[in-house]
Amino acid sequence: MTTATAPTAGVPVGPGLSMFDPIFVGIDEFGHPVYITLAYRNLLAGGEPGGGKSGLLNCIAAHAALSVDSRLVLLDGKLVELGQWEDCADAFIGPDITEALAVLKRLQLVMNNRYAWLRAHGRRKLTAADGLSVITVLVDEIAFYSATVGTKQEQEEFVALLRDLVARGRAAGIPVVAATQRPSFDIIPTSLRDLFGYRAAFRCTTPNSSNIVLGHGWAEQGYTATDIAPSNQGAAYLIAEGGIPRRIKVAYLTDGQIAGIADYAAWIRRPRPLPALVPDLTRLDLGAAA
Amino acid sequence: MSKSSPRRPFGGKSNGTITVIEAKVHRSSARNARLAFILTAVIVGLLAAVVAASYMHPILALFLGALIGVPLGGLVWVLVRIWPVLRLLWWWTPEIGVTTFLGTGWVQLANHTPMPVTFAVVALVVGVPAAVPVTRRVLVAWTWCFVVRHRLRVCFAQFIIANQSGSLPLILWARPTPVGERVWVYLRPGLSLADLEGRLDRIAVACHASTALIERASDGNAAYLRFDIKRREVLTAQVGSPLVDVIDPATPATDRPTPAVPTALDLPDVDIPTVTLPAQKKPPATANGSKPAASSSTPEDDISDWI
Repeated sequence: MTTATAPTAGVPVGPGLSMFDPIFVGIDEFGHPVYITLAYRNLLAGGEPGGGKSGLLNCIAAHAALSVDSRLVLLDGKLVELGQWEDCADAFIGPDITEALAVLKRLQLVMNNRYAWLRAHGRRKLTAADGLSVITVLVDEIAFYSATVGTKQEQEEFVALLRDLVARGRAAGIPVVAATQRPSFDIIPTSLRDLFGYRAAFRCTTPNSSNIVLGHGWAEQGYTATDIAPSNQGAAYLIAEGGIPRRIKVAYLTDGQIAGIADYAAWIRRPRPLPALVPDLTRLDLGAAA
Repeated sequence: MSKSSPRRPFGGKSNGTITVIEAKVHRSSARNARLAFILTAVIVGLLAAVVAASYMHPILALFLGALIGVPLGGLVWVLVRIWPVLRLLWWWTPEIGVTTFLGTGWVQLANHTPMPVTFAVVALVVGVPAAVPVTRRVLVAWTWCFVVRHRLRVCFAQFIIANQSGSLPLILWARPTPVGERVWVYLRPGLSLADLEGRLDRIAVACHASTALIERASDGNAAYLRFDIKRREVLTAQVGSPLVDVIDPATPATDRPTPAVPTALDLPDVDIPTVTLPAQKKPPATANGSKPAASSSTPEDDISDWI
């Protein structure tokens, strides 16, 4: 039996992560790792500026970028928080609500198609075995699109589309992760806010704000993000699988680490930007990875 | 014995005044003891008499039954009456045990070894765990567990009494956590999780802690709770992501087209814009009835947040 030496400039192989795998987001107070499975969930992160929301978003983006069955749709009003993932994202929207609306409409179309596909197969939800990609929608500073830029109609349209994605995208493999500083009703309608199943409250200035992020009544039970020290960036209360807020510390990626992961992800994904005409999001991207 | 029974169910030793509840409890303790005496004496006596009747004349058997039943009933009576003292001893069992063990050890050591050896052994036994940080932390953490159990009992005795007989929740085991202690508690009738959540701040104070949290420890039993006592913040260090180790550091950097570098990065570089307010300001002036609607938007803020 002969052995051949591996080619030095071989085809890079993905690390084998999947969006159906638990995503590492940090550690809890007992030193245990904290994982969230995002494929069928939506996450809302809130907290004061500099609290660590972008750290959480970058953690999720890093996992999604390194997953084989994943597509990233990034909406970032600040351009810089998620900007480093632009090369591995299928859509990166800056401070432009028209583009944001366009990509959300495409996502809605994909979601409808997927539900039609699921119905045709007599199924109710997408699984990892289907070979369809999980399209993770990351929105940083959701208030920018829902309350700042664009006309009133555009903002309402944005909220309506996002609400539809959050409400129906779960089983179709389109999780939404949104971050904003204070998701009060004038920023995001409560009808949209309450649909997010997972919550992460970074430092808040008032128990009221903490309650807005985590849900009514948690501050009275002792779970208030006001007791996080202002200097303790990345500490948060996370409501995920357990249903009870857990104090966690979000894993932090430096700019250099993000750049490294983004480059590597771009390398293994050989990204194709979204084709301009035909929405092609439902196809498995194995051909491109080979 | 009788002095300790009225005060123990509450732990309120310093209160000189006897409240109504205490008197009630005292009465109930005496009544319980009497009842226990009668029940035990009658049941044991009858049983003994029935058994003895197979061996002797029934009247003799009855006497024998009474002879066995009455002392046993008396024993039970004593047990019920001194139960508060027994409970107190039970609560302090670990401390009593440790103190006895240490005292005996010291005496034995001092009796059997010369002075320098005694001091050397003590220095080793005390000094080594105190000097090694790991064992020191473990010892301190477990000591806090004992302290917290007593402090929680003080909480329940001093300000969380909820039922008429003044029975305290069962404070089960405790174990150290990185942030403090975790104690399992089994509530007696009269208390609930919601009752305790309103007193979290006072519980934290009583336990010399920063904050306290209470969760249900069992899905199927609302009486079984878990107290998380927090006395230190541990999530201060930076946490890295394992994904960094997954990637190949020799990845070729993606060649990005250099974007057009924006200019006008300082305030003087930007022209004064012509601010035009949107033309939506007119309708409110005309509408008379819309005034209260507009003014109600601000106080509504907090209410609507919850809707």
